[in-house]
Amino acid sequence: MSTDPFAALANPVRRQILDALRGGPRPVGEIVDMFRLSRPAVSEHLRVLRAAELIAEQRRGRQRLYYLTPTPLAGVEEWLHPFERYWRGRLRDLADFLAEQTDAQKGDQR
Amino acid sequence: MTEIRVDQFLPHPPEAVWRALTDPELIVKWWAAADGLVPVVGHRFELDMNRWGRQKCTVLEVDEPRVLAYTFGEGVIDTVLRWTIEAEGSGSRLFLEHSGFDPDSELGAVALKGMGSGWPHVLTRIAAALAPAT
Repeated sequence: MSTDPFAALANPVRRQILDALRGGPRPVGEIVDMFRLSRPAVSEHLRVLRAAELIAEQRRGRQRLYYLTPTPLAGVEEWLHPFERYWRGRLRDLADFLAEQTDAQKGDQR
Repeated sequence: MTEIRVDQFLPHPPEAVWRALTDPELIVKWWAAADGLVPVVGHRFELDMNRWGRQKCTVLEVDEPRVLAYTFGEGVIDTVLRWTIEAEGSGSRLFLEHSGFDPDSELGAVALKGMGSGWPHVLTRIAAALAPAT
């Protein structure tokens, strides 16, 4: 599972989905119809975009709508939020890596 | 605010953190392949961001074992990563500032002027950067 905004933005289908959502929320069926792709394939792209918090889902009656997060009128902090999450994740990875390295060194000394 | 700031306490001396930030053999184990990174001002290298592609970088600032800054995503998002290490107790605190979301760039303009279009402007630039050269 990827929550990496860089990876999420790298795919052309996902960029087209985001572009389409500029005009406002859209039902999942409409998004599927934009592409010559199977519904599961489009759903997978939507899942990646959701995991990166670039879009969100809302149920309205029997419909599932997708919309851009943050909304087009949001402040810059909100737009940078996925990147902030990305860096927090990398710093945690670095902490884990250094801890493993230290453990390995202690193991060598035994 | 046009920058991102995050920090993390690491129970390791600054020198160990510095190595993890500057030795390509170590960087790849927690983040990305940093082919050709040498902590010397003006040095150019690439960070392999997997599906986002290889990002061109240039070293801007080196103060071992305290400060390392380089450009990030030249021609794509044109930003700067600045890592700062401070001794704290028995370890270090690592600060990362991702800045240069430039008010004059497309991303910055969109970000600062009410986000009329938002991400798609970033995407346009990324798409252009990823398009095969003709």
